[in-house]
Amino acid sequence: MLRKRAEGEERSNRQKKTGEERLFSKDIHVSNANLYYGDFHALKDINIDIPPERVTAFIGPSGCGKTTLLKCFNRMNDLVPDCKIEGEFLVGGEDIYKSKDVTGLRKRVGMVFQKPNPFPMSVYDNVAYGPRTFGIKKRAELDEIVERSLKQAAMWEELKDRLNKSALGLSGGQQQRLCIARALATSPGIILMDEPTSALDPISTAKIEELIGSIKEFTTVAIVTHNMQQAARISDKTGFFLLGELVEYGDTHDIFERPQKEETKRYIEGRFG
Amino acid sequence: MEKSRIKEMCGKVVFAATAALCIAAAAAIFIFIIMKSVPALSETGLGNFLFGSEWAPDANDVYGQPLAGSYGILPMLVGTLTATACALLVGGSLGFFTAVFLSYYCKGRLKAVFSSVINLLAGVPSVIFGFFGIKVIMPLFNMLSPNGNSSGLLLTSVILGMMIFPTVASLSKTALEAVPRAYYEGALALGDTRDQAVFRTVVPAAKSGITAAMILGVGRALGETMAVVMVAGNSPQFPRGLFSSFRTMTANIVLEMGYAGEVQMGALFATGGVLLVFVAITVALLSLVTSEKKNGGRGGKKRGISLFGGRKICFAGKVFSVVSAMFALAFLAALIIYLLIMGLPHLSGQLLFGSYEYGGEISILPSVAATLMTVGISLVIALPLGICTAIFLNEYAGSKNPFVRVIRGAIDVLSGVPSIVYGLFGAVTFVTLLGGSYSIAAGSLTISVMLLPTVIRATEESLRAVPMSLREGALALGAGKLRTVFTVVLPSAMPGIIAAAILSVGRVMSESAPFMFTMGSSIQPMPEGAMSGGTTLAVLLYYLSGENLYTDEAYACACVLMLIVLLLNVAAELAGRALQKKFQGEKNAKKKSRRRRALEQAKENG
Ligand SMILES: Nc1ncnc2c1ncn2[C@@H]1O[C@H](COP(=O)(O)OP(=O)(O)O)[C@@H](O)[C@H]1O
Ligand SMILES: [Mg+2]
Repeated sequence: MLRKRAEGEERSNRQKKTGEERLFSKDIHVSNANLYYGDFHALKDINIDIPPERVTAFIGPSGCGKTTLLKCFNRMNDLVPDCKIEGEFLVGGEDIYKSKDVTGLRKRVGMVFQKPNPFPMSVYDNVAYGPRTFGIKKRAELDEIVERSLKQAAMWEELKDRLNKSALGLSGGQQQRLCIARALATSPGIILMDEPTSALDPISTAKIEELIGSIKEFTTVAIVTHNMQQAARISDKTGFFLLGELVEYGDTHDIFERPQKEETKRYIEGRFG
Repeated sequence: MEKSRIKEMCGKVVFAATAALCIAAAAAIFIFIIMKSVPALSETGLGNFLFGSEWAPDANDVYGQPLAGSYGILPMLVGTLTATACALLVGGSLGFFTAVFLSYYCKGRLKAVFSSVINLLAGVPSVIFGFFGIKVIMPLFNMLSPNGNSSGLLLTSVILGMMIFPTVASLSKTALEAVPRAYYEGALALGDTRDQAVFRTVVPAAKSGITAAMILGVGRALGETMAVVMVAGNSPQFPRGLFSSFRTMTANIVLEMGYAGEVQMGALFATGGVLLVFVAITVALLSLVTSEKKNGGRGGKKRGISLFGGRKICFAGKVFSVVSAMFALAFLAALIIYLLIMGLPHLSGQLLFGSYEYGGEISILPSVAATLMTVGISLVIALPLGICTAIFLNEYAGSKNPFVRVIRGAIDVLSGVPSIVYGLFGAVTFVTLLGGSYSIAAGSLTISVMLLPTVIRATEESLRAVPMSLREGALALGAGKLRTVFTVVLPSAMPGIIAAAILSVGRVMSESAPFMFTMGSSIQPMPEGAMSGGTTLAVLLYYLSGENLYTDEAYACACVLMLIVLLLNVAAELAGRALQKKFQGEKNAKKKSRRRRALEQAKENG
């Protein structure tokens, strides 16, 4: 019985994966992007290519526009009144600000927030929330998705016996990993993370970093972090932002070992020292 | 995808439409009241109506020939304003000092107790205030009165004062607690005593909030009806002294609506119109005061006038505060204990479960049935409308949207309209619509409109308590706004919405004026359906207290009503606290997780 279920799961995963891969690649290309909050110029002429199935980190002092850029990729800035966005954002080859399908975009681009925000419902319902949004109602299918997502988030063993308990009873670190599982449940090709560990203790942080390392096998991760060591540990590419500009972007190794720009160097040294 | 977009559109339209309904309701009240008063005003002339000092409705002389009446409301205008001013003196000062006590002179458990006392007092039905006034305070005052009868200005002012007291107290408390702690500490650092810091620095800084509280108290006093009718004496004459019988405008409507001829009816509507003008003035004043507050006010920097800054005087302020709060507690306790002692022994089987026929022995069963039906129908109407409006205001409309300003204005107006004016409005709209006779349905529709502002405000408050991050989480998972609202926001806000519902039930149970001319103007037997007339418990108490035949029944009825309303208020408070806890739950969860983390760490280490 269990084996059968696992087989079914694998099959459906494969189908989904191949189906989506054919439609959308998992990369992001941004050219000449500018963003204004009213009169305030928050992002200045950003050009960046985020490679598929890699971890890309955004670093920089607070208020420099990292969150703002991240939220452009799934159009969360649409919620802000007076927010004007210019330039081209290709996500999976599609110009997202030309398309009207915001919902579909958010299915393909998941997001994890700074503070864990599990819904006040059961663990199961939290993970099933996304799939249900997209019309999946069959219990068996949902069961499968919940199990797969929790396994991908390395939480299945921990939570399989308390799927029906409220998610609010979990610890902060568990809540954040549950949020990652919740984002994985719609099989997004891309996941955005905005300082996902800043509210967590070192042990939970380590677990999440490990998790990021494992999901990048099938998902692109764009992560904002305040923690330099974290960026160095987990990312393949790093972008350094200052006052709304992307000062420097390249392989993480290069950025940390031999930064090209004076500002980058000073920031990294200041942070390390 | 198209389908979901259409759904979203429909949702938005429905929410906006319910919100627009509030504007329509507020406008309709003004339009109907004005329309109905035009004939009388054109006959009498606006000047004669407002400044005429004789109120003598049309009548027939001894030969049956009609005599033209005169309709001057000046005595009642003066009566209303005098009583309101005196009530403000009583209730305003008690409320203010109690608020000071609550926010600066008590803490912890004690504070919780006194806050509940204020909330409970706010929920006491006005007929109960009136009843208590007649039975307990009036006999006391009679001893002071030169002619041995004290129904009149003093008694009315005291009762009205006690009624606006909780309003003033709870709003002033909010204003006082909003003053930054640094002001208080700064004053202490400059060598003030605690009392001086409170009265010279904190109170002036909260001035605009306290003013707003007073204005709302005035609004409530102007519109209060049933309690006043019971204790004012009601002669249509200028109040001539503390013990002089007089009549307010609201009382004027209640007393004469039942048998008014055409012109007289118009004059009563015009009286309602004058009340509406007062409501408009208080709403305007209120927005003036609160906008001044937003612009920073000037209170904080300027110190209190030095005359009032002395140590002794500030200490006296402290003493007043303690005394006021004790008085509130004592009053509530006296009210409850008195009604229990006088009422419980008379709760007979006949009274509770017997049947009632016109003129027969009293039973409260038909009233309980009528009350339940009214509660049911009005909640079914007011809750969805109110919740949808709150959703529109809080989830859909930007704060800068001009439409939103109009809606908020309409809600302010609706919450300020006196209940007797709702009664008038219901009588000309719902009663007419439903075939012209009094019915539970018409009364329920009337009270539904009246409940809207309560439901909307309470729901909005609970929606605001839902963290933004939950909405973001749902939207980021691809959920549309509708799905976000219905699956994440509303369930999270549920305890607050339940509190709103319970409060509404309490409100329906305590109101009586809106039912007088919509549900039936005498004690009705068991209702046969929504279309038959009915007498709610509060209205029953009003009728019983007017008849000396039914004193025991009146006590029993008051006791039952009081207990139910108190229980409802306690339930609402508990539900409200559950909401708070839910989102402090975040904090608690953090605490819990810290503990758990410590455990995890301990395990890992060893
Ligand atoms: N909704 C908003 N409205 C106006 N300004 C905003 C808004 N969100 C962010 N900003 C401003 O844009 C700048 C970048 O913000 P953000 O992207 O949050 O920075 P970061 O995540 O790098 O700390 C900041 O100066 C911030 O004040
Ligand atoms: Mg940020």
